[in-house]
Amino acid sequence: MSVNGAVWGRVRSRLRAFPERLAACGAEAAAYGRCVQASTAPGGSLSKDLCAREFEALRSCFAAARRLHLKKKKNLGGSC
Amino acid sequence: MLRPAGLWRLCRRPWAARVSAENPGRREITSGVSPRGSTSLRALNIFDRDLKRKQKNWAARQPEPTKFDYLKEEVGSRIADRVYDIPRAFPLALDLGCGRGYIAQYLNKETIGKLFQVDIAENALKNSLETEIPTVSILADEEFLPFRENTFDLVVSSLSLHWVNDLPRALEQIHYILKPDGVFIGAMFGGDTLYELRCSLQLAETEREGGFSPHISPFTAVNDLGHLLGRAGFNTLTVDTDEIQVNYPGMFELMEDLQGMGESNCSWNRKALLHRDTMLAAAAVYREMYRNEDGSVPATYQIYYMIGWKYHESQARPAERGSATVSFGELGKINNLMPQGKKSQ
Repeated sequence: MSVNGAVWGRVRSRLRAFPERLAACGAEAAAYGRCVQASTAPGGSLSKDLCAREFEALRSCFAAARRLHLKKKKNLGGSC
Repeated sequence: MLRPAGLWRLCRRPWAARVSAENPGRREITSGVSPRGSTSLRALNIFDRDLKRKQKNWAARQPEPTKFDYLKEEVGSRIADRVYDIPRAFPLALDLGCGRGYIAQYLNKETIGKLFQVDIAENALKNSLETEIPTVSILADEEFLPFRENTFDLVVSSLSLHWVNDLPRALEQIHYILKPDGVFIGAMFGGDTLYELRCSLQLAETEREGGFSPHISPFTAVNDLGHLLGRAGFNTLTVDTDEIQVNYPGMFELMEDLQGMGESNCSWNRKALLHRDTMLAAAAVYREMYRNEDGSVPATYQIYYMIGWKYHESQARPAERGSATVSFGELGKINNLMPQGKKSQ
């Protein structure tokens, strides 16, 4: 770890916001999870980018949640 | 690295070659002395013990150390139960990989005379929990114990042997330092531990990146555990398994708790980076595949408890062939036979 841990601290604080942002995207996460789970059924096979479409939807929702989260943080006036 | 005299005694560490960046996974470890020329593979080196020490030191230095202690406290209390089950007092006992001393707080002065607590992380020993038993803290590695033969009446170990590189040798060393008629009571994580996390990461990594690398360390199977204990020389083995399921709000909280416990991955073959996309995908898969009704996700910890004794003449042995006094056919009349003091074979 670095001298004052500034980078690590910044990355960790961003990571700590992940659960909240994921909770805001419940539907997309469930869709992606169902897609992956379906591939584990007998007869299915999991390959790279099999559920890319669902994941892109999840990713964009997640990014949107970040803008929402940052706006909320600014309104609250504190650091996370 | 020697520390000033006092409570801490650093045991002799093995000399090891510098790791080359090209192949961190394959490395020979050369050690000083093995107690009795054991035949275990010298090239067994799965975990980076130095990194594990740093991780445990970091975890012990957290602002709220009790926040992540719940699992170790629970298993520590169950091990203490097993110690109480043995109707004996142990003048000298050893706690291997003690962490902050989770077992000692449940034991009392009458059962244990003096307790030696051994761990590789000095911060954990410095912040040890209160106990009424007189203790001595020693900084040593579980695989290289600085004790003489036939020293201890009791050796306990709670949830630390799963990070040991050479488990057969560690068990042999434990057997070596036990007195005859001494007992070893240990708890280790079993094969099903964190299978939900393992599967979610595997599926997400395969879908996102096209392949996967192990993120959960390998655990011992229960059959192997019996064999290992037998090979180390223990008698009268008992291995039983227990499952503790802890519910978390999500995968990220679980991973944060694992890191806070000091249980982060330290295998040589670990991938240095876990992509945010993969983490997000794994969290979504985890929630979809394993969630409970109330929205939380479970994590399973499978614990194996093992008890092994060092041989002593007073211990029960299988009877001689042909020494039966009663036949199995008379089992129906056992109520008549028992008060007469005869034992069925």
